[in-house]
Amino acid sequence: MSFALRFILREIRSSEVITLIIALIISVGTVTSISLFVDRLQLSFEQESANLLAADRVVRSDQPIRESWKSHATEQGLEQAERTSFATMIFANDKLQLSQISAVSASYPLKGQFLVDDALFAQGHPSTIAPASGEIWLSSRLASLLAVKIGQMVEVGDAKLRVSKYLVLDPGSSTSAFAVSPRAVMNVTDLAATHVIIPGSRVRYSLLLAGDRDALQQYETWIEPQLKEGQRWQTPKQKGQSIGQTINKAESFLLLAGTLAVVLSGVAMALASARFVKRHLMQVAVLKTLGATPRILAKLFLLQLFILFVVGALGGLISGWFIQEGISSLLLSLMTTTLPEPSIGKLWLGVATGFISLIAFCLPLMIRLIQISPLSVLQPSARVEKNALVIYVVGFVGLYGLMCLYTQGFMLPSIMTLAIAGVGLVVSILGWGMFKLGRWATSGATSGWQIGLASLYRRLTPNLFQLLVFTLIIMLGLILVGIKTSLVSDWQAQLPEDAPNHYLFNVQADQVAGINDISQRLNLSSSSWFPMVRGRITKVNEDLVETLYPEGTPEPELFEREMNLTWADHVGEGNQVVAGDFHDQGISLEQKTAAEAGIKMGDKLTLSIGGLHYTLPVTSIRTVDWGSMRPNFYVIVPKQTLANYPANFVSSFFIKPDQAQAFYQNMSRYPTVSILNVGDLLKQIQTIIAQLSQAIQLVLLCILAAGALVLIASIGSTLEERREEGALLRVLGAKASLVRQALIVEFGFLGLFSGVIAALGAEASLYGVQTFVFKSAVSWHPLLWVLGPLIGVILITSIGVFASRTVLKVPPMHLLRDF
Amino acid sequence: MDKITALQTHNLTHTVTSKTGNLTILKGIDIEIKEGESVAIVGASGSGKSTLLGLLAGLDRNTAGEITLYNHSLTSLSEEKRALLRGQYVGFIFQSFHLLPSLEAVENVMLPAELKGDKQARQKAEYLLEQVGLSHRLTHYPRQLSGGEQQRVAIARAFASEPKILFADEPTGNLDEENGKTIIQLLFDLNRSQGTTLIMVTHDNTLASMCDRQLIMSAGQLKEGNL
Repeated sequence: MSFALRFILREIRSSEVITLIIALIISVGTVTSISLFVDRLQLSFEQESANLLAADRVVRSDQPIRESWKSHATEQGLEQAERTSFATMIFANDKLQLSQISAVSASYPLKGQFLVDDALFAQGHPSTIAPASGEIWLSSRLASLLAVKIGQMVEVGDAKLRVSKYLVLDPGSSTSAFAVSPRAVMNVTDLAATHVIIPGSRVRYSLLLAGDRDALQQYETWIEPQLKEGQRWQTPKQKGQSIGQTINKAESFLLLAGTLAVVLSGVAMALASARFVKRHLMQVAVLKTLGATPRILAKLFLLQLFILFVVGALGGLISGWFIQEGISSLLLSLMTTTLPEPSIGKLWLGVATGFISLIAFCLPLMIRLIQISPLSVLQPSARVEKNALVIYVVGFVGLYGLMCLYTQGFMLPSIMTLAIAGVGLVVSILGWGMFKLGRWATSGATSGWQIGLASLYRRLTPNLFQLLVFTLIIMLGLILVGIKTSLVSDWQAQLPEDAPNHYLFNVQADQVAGINDISQRLNLSSSSWFPMVRGRITKVNEDLVETLYPEGTPEPELFEREMNLTWADHVGEGNQVVAGDFHDQGISLEQKTAAEAGIKMGDKLTLSIGGLHYTLPVTSIRTVDWGSMRPNFYVIVPKQTLANYPANFVSSFFIKPDQAQAFYQNMSRYPTVSILNVGDLLKQIQTIIAQLSQAIQLVLLCILAAGALVLIASIGSTLEERREEGALLRVLGAKASLVRQALIVEFGFLGLFSGVIAALGAEASLYGVQTFVFKSAVSWHPLLWVLGPLIGVILITSIGVFASRTVLKVPPMHLLRDF
Repeated sequence: MDKITALQTHNLTHTVTSKTGNLTILKGIDIEIKEGESVAIVGASGSGKSTLLGLLAGLDRNTAGEITLYNHSLTSLSEEKRALLRGQYVGFIFQSFHLLPSLEAVENVMLPAELKGDKQARQKAEYLLEQVGLSHRLTHYPRQLSGGEQQRVAIARAFASEPKILFADEPTGNLDEENGKTIIQLLFDLNRSQGTTLIMVTHDNTLASMCDRQLIMSAGQLKEGNL
């Protein structure tokens, strides 16, 4: 096949083949970088969840772990640890306290680490070693309640254990802020000596496992059928299901956005292929006259496509890898840990994208090439019949298939296709009008303005297509700018510097004054104190809530569970009454919750609080600013109803990092108070927003690159015509500057129109997002109307003039000789 | 001894379908061309000369009648088999040369032999280019050659497959008089030395008169003529 290889090597230098390769690199690279980056996010999330689980997988049981389970794990080469959790009394200094104890084996934790400290209420140092036999670690709260210090002994059942550390965090334990019992960790070898576990005790036995994915998968398949009631197989995903689902959704959306890059690359491929085919029609006909059979030609072009695929896919995979590496390293400063390495297995999606794109956009055109009649060498009219519909259908089916592959469904791709078709229609109508207007406003061919504007109308179809492509790209970019500036930063702006980052729960009425003292001494900013009781709604207008929702239909959150209620005689900060009046005889409900439960003003609700029932009408509906980070409540009861009820109080504080130690130490006087630090949570949310916005910017860059390639390929397909025109103009006495001016006017206006329509589209989209998604006040974005046209003109003019530079450089004589 | 029949047609008819209806371009043509003959087909533009040449060379399928090339009926063959026959028996020279622009002169000449899998393709190509006086232009691309030189490369390419029949479509149509003469001389010399059958379409009566036979195409019909 030396002939075929030589043929390909010669062709590789041609602009169409280079365009094809770049287009392939962009689509494979875009999809690869997205799937690898999201995979790293997913892995990092799994690792963090594994840290929460203290293992990769856990078998949980209310019966002791069977020996056969352990021995099978050993056979599979899995690391193992054990944890036995139970609640019991701990004695010390004549005091006793109900505590939640974890008795762990020496290898615990398999993932993550303990945080322990030698000082009470300190931030803790990491430790991967469990307490030694004869030792126990107590949480600062527990130690304070028992009034013991490090080195002193406590009694757990019949066993005496020495306190060796203060426990800050047990990686495998629930981190719920409402956990009532304080915690302790001891060594499992001391458990028997305590004699606290007797038949009937509520004990949770856990076998923790870690190892490679395949071994864990096999173990799961083996153990699942053996699990009975009270036994569960836990994975990190289950532990943090909602975050996992969010990341999956983010992946779908990013890939859908990335689809635009794939679509545009596909269009560039189709344009380049069409030009390749046009240029090779006569050559193939000649080869046929020389005896090349359709089979030989098919082999030749399939081999060419294969080489293109290998080069493009490899290039795409490599660039995709580097792009996601770049994005990840940009994020390093924001993250507390580095992202795990992506899985090689995720590369298949990029490869599949390249393969399907090539099949969908190039193969039908190549087949057309092979079908050319050899008679064309004698009669150029004897070309193959143009069956353009088949080419469009194959291209569309290929793309739609890819979108379905990315989103694992049909819904989103269908919506996106319809949306693009809708935008396409609008842009075509507006564009046609603008081009027509431009043509009408100028007639004749004596200035660059006239020639440039006339060109826009003359090459109407390709120009409308360019207009659509760039309008979509600029619009996407502007929407992102709009969302980022008006929504994300608004949210951040709403959060003042001293937004609360700690919540205090379980505060008794007589502790409030003391804690306020601490707050004043340390100069902390805090919100008001809210009394809080647990209660639930049992009736709506005399109907029991159970009867309102037939079996199988989901209950609104308001009725589903016991919730925190407060009482007040005025509307708190960040709350706004939108219906009725805040009344001392009625209940105030949060707007969304009321709507979800179908409760209207005047409906009578019966509340069950601590066994007592209160029936009150709904007299006001409120909106609540959840972003304020202050304590907020769905249901507020009139103050006089519960004024004498023994309540816990809740408040929020802003504590600077350098105040934390002092605050925790002061709070050791109130060991029963639960403190929830949400500062870390806020940081995590900000990191996720940063990660996703970086990823979106990356996708936008890929889309932009693909759009530029479409423009270049499209200009390529009209380049001969442009060169001929340019040459003719110059032969007729026009200066090169006139030809340049005409090009600048043509591309400049194309960019201007794209930018204006894009700004219009972005403004409309942001209006929709603000009104329907975020339900916030509508605002105009003057910045978009400046940015859109400016970016459009600069971008398209520079790419367009660059791609058609040969029109200016080639001397007229040479051009005339060519035609 | 009678010469072998290289090409024969019987009632060759060709009809094309266009938007305005069916158009019969060739109307029942019967010819017989013996091996080694040189035949010129002349006629006015649009008379069907090129269509006839294409059908005789197996570039297209006729709609009725019979064409036999060295005892192979072209009418019933698929494009795959006709291509194989072309590779085996036929060589071409075109008015606009049709060299592959991405290949050097020598590579263009190698093409037919390479398609047949001939290992000696390069040596043969170099020899043929020497024969046409272009041994100093082996590695030049078509765009670096003059029109006359390009047609000489095309002639070398046509002979590279050692064809039994050479079809030429207006071989001097794009050349000036001087270059035209050189090309014709070369073509006839090679034709004689290789014993090739030559079938040529031309407007040039002088060129046609150099051939053994002249066939005049008129309104889709062919008759023997004398120029």
